[in-house]
Amino acid sequence: MTYRPSRRELLLNTAAGIGGVTLSQLLPGGGLLSAPLLAAAPGEDLLAPKAPHFPAKAKSVIWLHQYGAPSSLDLYDYKPDLVRLTGQEVPASFMKGIKTSTQGGVGKLYSSKRTWKQYGQSGAWFSDLLPNLAEQADKLAFIKASKTIGATHDISVLKLNTGDLNPGRPSLGAWVHYALGSANPDLPAYVVLYSGRREPEAGSVNWNAGFLPAVYQGIAFRPGPSPILNVDRQKLMSDAQQRDSLDLLKRLNQLRAARRPDDSELRARIDSYDLAYRMESSAPEAVDVTKESAATKSLYGLDDEPSRDYGTVLLRARRLVERNVRFVHVVTGNVDVDGDNQDWDAHQELEKNHSANAKAVDKPIAGLLADLQARGLLDTTLVVWTSEFGRTSYGQSGNGRDHNPWGYTQWMAGGGVKAASTFGQTDEIGLQSVGKAVDTYDLHATVLNQLGLDHLKLTFQNNGRSERPTVVYGEVVKELLA
Amino acid sequence: MTRRAIKGTALVGWGVLIAATQLVAGQSGTTAPAPAPVTATRSSTHWAYQPVVRPDVPVVKKQAWVRTPIDAFVLAKLEEKELTPSPDADRATLIRRSTLDVLGLIPSPEEVKAFVEDKSPDAYERLVDRLLASPKYGERQARRWLDLARYADSTGFEGDRTRPNMWRYRDYVVSAFNHDKPYDQFVKEQIAGDELAPESQESLIATGFLAGYPDNYNSRDLVQRKYQITTDMTDTVGSVFLAQTFACARCHNHKFDRISQKEYFQIQSFFANTAEVSDIKATVGPQELVFQKTQHQWEEATKEVRARREALVAPIKAEIVKYQKERYLTDSRDAIFKPRDQWTAQDRWVNHRWQSVTKGSDYEVDRYLRETTQLELEETGHTNETKVALREQYRKLGEELSKFNSLRPATGSDTITAMSELGHPDAPPTYLLFVGNHERPLDEVQPGFPAAIANGAAPQIVPTATTSGRRTALANWIASAENPLTARVYVNRVWAQYFGRGIVESVSNFGRAGRAPSHPALLDYLADRFVRDGWSPKKLHREILLSSVYRQSSEYREDVAKADPQNTFLATFPRIRLDAEQIRDSLLVASGTLVDKVGGPSVFAQVPEGLNAGNLWQASKNAEDHHRRSLYIFTRRSVPYPMLETFNMASSQEVHSQRVVTTTPMQALTLYNSDQVFEWSQALAGRVIREAGASESSQLDRLYEILYARTPDKTEKATLLSFLDSHAKVIREKGKDGKLSIALPTGVPSWDARNPLRDAAFVDLVHTVANSNDFAYRF
Repeated sequence: MTYRPSRRELLLNTAAGIGGVTLSQLLPGGGLLSAPLLAAAPGEDLLAPKAPHFPAKAKSVIWLHQYGAPSSLDLYDYKPDLVRLTGQEVPASFMKGIKTSTQGGVGKLYSSKRTWKQYGQSGAWFSDLLPNLAEQADKLAFIKASKTIGATHDISVLKLNTGDLNPGRPSLGAWVHYALGSANPDLPAYVVLYSGRREPEAGSVNWNAGFLPAVYQGIAFRPGPSPILNVDRQKLMSDAQQRDSLDLLKRLNQLRAARRPDDSELRARIDSYDLAYRMESSAPEAVDVTKESAATKSLYGLDDEPSRDYGTVLLRARRLVERNVRFVHVVTGNVDVDGDNQDWDAHQELEKNHSANAKAVDKPIAGLLADLQARGLLDTTLVVWTSEFGRTSYGQSGNGRDHNPWGYTQWMAGGGVKAASTFGQTDEIGLQSVGKAVDTYDLHATVLNQLGLDHLKLTFQNNGRSERPTVVYGEVVKELLA
Repeated sequence: MTRRAIKGTALVGWGVLIAATQLVAGQSGTTAPAPAPVTATRSSTHWAYQPVVRPDVPVVKKQAWVRTPIDAFVLAKLEEKELTPSPDADRATLIRRSTLDVLGLIPSPEEVKAFVEDKSPDAYERLVDRLLASPKYGERQARRWLDLARYADSTGFEGDRTRPNMWRYRDYVVSAFNHDKPYDQFVKEQIAGDELAPESQESLIATGFLAGYPDNYNSRDLVQRKYQITTDMTDTVGSVFLAQTFACARCHNHKFDRISQKEYFQIQSFFANTAEVSDIKATVGPQELVFQKTQHQWEEATKEVRARREALVAPIKAEIVKYQKERYLTDSRDAIFKPRDQWTAQDRWVNHRWQSVTKGSDYEVDRYLRETTQLELEETGHTNETKVALREQYRKLGEELSKFNSLRPATGSDTITAMSELGHPDAPPTYLLFVGNHERPLDEVQPGFPAAIANGAAPQIVPTATTSGRRTALANWIASAENPLTARVYVNRVWAQYFGRGIVESVSNFGRAGRAPSHPALLDYLADRFVRDGWSPKKLHREILLSSVYRQSSEYREDVAKADPQNTFLATFPRIRLDAEQIRDSLLVASGTLVDKVGGPSVFAQVPEGLNAGNLWQASKNAEDHHRRSLYIFTRRSVPYPMLETFNMASSQEVHSQRVVTTTPMQALTLYNSDQVFEWSQALAGRVIREAGASESSQLDRLYEILYARTPDKTEKATLLSFLDSHAKVIREKGKDGKLSIALPTGVPSWDARNPLRDAAFVDLVHTVANSNDFAYRF
């Protein structure tokens, strides 16, 4: 398959946008980005809400990055043949075209130890590691032939979030923020949440704005009641005292600004202090789950120790979406596995690892889907379960699995995707994608599409070069859409 | 640049783009035939590729305004547009502006006063000379150069390991600017210092420019890593020195510029034999002595534990190494398992890489023992108890060892990082790669310059016994007076520092897709003059600073706002928000807490509570480190320093060409709520009280002199005084329940006879004034 008419048509249709410099600087919604972007770009304009390219299905995205790469073969991708062949060398035909490491003993196929059942109208397979999510089966659109590049987390996580193997490109959330602006001036439009005890590895490069203006980067909301750095006023300062001081600030600034009537940047800076003042209360309020009912808390697994952390994070995600945050980027943290802190990266003792990690996320994610639906938010919220890659069908170190960028499962729900569907498949042992595969670029194109954005038209002039979120790749996966 | 030309090249681009799509399809099973690479046209009329020719200085009507030739070029354009330039800014504004621009800090009230009162005709010239002679000039210039060099003290990626030697490169850059190192030499040392003067530590350290690439020690694909590193060096050199977007030609012929994909890989081949070496012993100075002494103490204290640990695994060392090597992917494995006598040049690089990234990794021992025990269990059904015991012993000794961690030097080093060719002149072959995919090599290519830029110049490569000489050839071409880009690009960057935008606005893109120069003759005048002046950066700065253009007032003018809303033609001076470092450093100066020390290992300054960066950021226990200039704060790629990041500091991931200004509520939260800034405000309040005495009116004058280089006008002063009255009452309200905690000025010698409520109100006043636009901007 070397020629795809639909693809070519898309490319040619945008040729005009690339040829003329002015056109390619047009923002979605027709606004003109002030060309120099050097001095005269007041913050309020950069963050103003902008219309999408075409009517959007989803208003918000919840991006559930399962850090460390869960094994599809132990969660979703049921492979009877793998059970049959377990313990045997991988037949050469399955290994064609892939480069592997041999550490830990490549070669012996390793079947899942879980029990499997079909769920819902769709009859989707789930292992017993995800009993709660399985009950939501009919909300999901599975991508069973995901593929990517890379043998290590570093580069593949970057590719998952930014589309490049090296740091520096804008993350998907930053593109969304740039394209659509903010729908709630009192909160950041692109928020990062994480579970676990510390910020995710590699940190902000995975939610940065790259060459886009820095206002579009994700803002990490940290655990606890004060989600943003410096969001609390000084300990010794009362609210009235701060308001009084800020009023003085405004007065002093206005006295001088009068000398420069045209200076919107100075005005924006005056306004930014009012925004900041409002954010001091709006940000903590947005993540304050104590106001939620006991039933809701229970739905997200807050009453159960293993799922409390991630459950709290996802409940916060829902509250943010309710408050019109555009992109909530959620990263799973480490969980306790027999006294050891581990993410999904099960090179050994996969059973223990996945049991603990699945227990941490199963109820919260199922709860999130159910809750979004109950509140009428699922239709406009796109939930994406995603990971940097999957895990191999052959074992590693006897009871673990190595990294698999060739064929793994991700899913989407809500936001106008085709519920209760499955697209794509892996080979009989679940190692490589067969037929049409979905790369991270395609996933990005599809997410953008649901937000009403054409990934080919969403461009930014970086140093004279027209850049788009999907680099030079990407295709909307139409089969996943309702 | 015609529209037609763009369309033409764009068509080539589309063709290749479709091929890229085919490749993606090809990877999933089918193979697409590789199309023959398109060769780009060889001649160019693009302005930036034409030789620099010294232009005539234009004749202007308002000759009296012209102080330097720069003024004539700018005025000629203004007269053409029927605009008049603005008068000189007042003295106070001028010294605040120039001190911030040249040194990155606000001036002291004494400096302001001396300059304002200096009636001699050369007062401003002497000011400029004083600024350019200050060591802080080098610090300020270095920061902007480090933006370009994507400088960091860590590798980035997931592990984000500390690079303990990189500060030496930072100090090299500071020193180069302070000693006014000729720019051509500066360029050559950074690209090929190891080849040009291998005996000179300074030259070796200079190659830290190349060695600063983000790196992934954890990569399992060493061949891919080599390609990514080479790509980074090529693209960085192209962007920084030549303002060329070579990177665009890696996957396809350049869409806009006449750079073919073949030519791209010809440039890459200059770096084909280049490898990083990080264990060169540094000349021992005070820093190294301290480091070695501390290191030695740790070594002595841990000698026995380390020996026991090593002895424990000595019998299985070879197995562990083999097991670790198996971690790498196919072609990397081929190279690292190959006997040394069979190594190709490429294998040599891969093996060097393998050795330098696996040095002393305890993790590998544990991983080996854990995983192989498990494997044996699965295969035989028995647990190898010997291995289990060994792992436990090893782990225990590791715990014991880590008890001594606090003895290890937290920063500093006694080694140098430099680029090297590992003692061999033969370089691995470079291939043109199909759509830039390193697994799809096409024809081999040789080093060469892009024809469109080179004007017939060809590389003069002279290998030595230990090095290929390729980078020297590249450096000589870039740093030659005939290169049409090098001088233009640099003078334009310096111009952009002062005026907020370059004569060519796209400072790192002088290609066809970049912007055309607003003042082409001025650009050529500056470039020509720069080379004639012996590539002296200080002379260039001086000429710009002395111009009437630079001295203009930035006061609002309705006629200019109407006729030239972007202020392209500079009829007024552009006001600019202070950059991240200027804000932080100036607050340190204002509060009187700046620790004025040049150079040395990077420091871990305070971070806000809740940053959660774990071991990647442990704030220094040495209070001095919290008050160093921002230049010296450790650059951790995955943990950008929060206060600076909020104010648009450079990203250290790739070449950062221009500081963009954005205005956000996060900035307001940082300046208003952070403990650090509030502490500085308390210290500033104390300083003002100390220096101005008891009169509140004098205190307000002093505060404004420190922060704004002026005194408050009547309205401002009245506003501030009435605030003190009302605000003290607001604060008293807090104490309704009988208890009152307040923040007071710090560093005030005696509290007798002071009114604490009024002092607390004064702290808030100072803090508020420090948050104002007048502080955050230079006008």
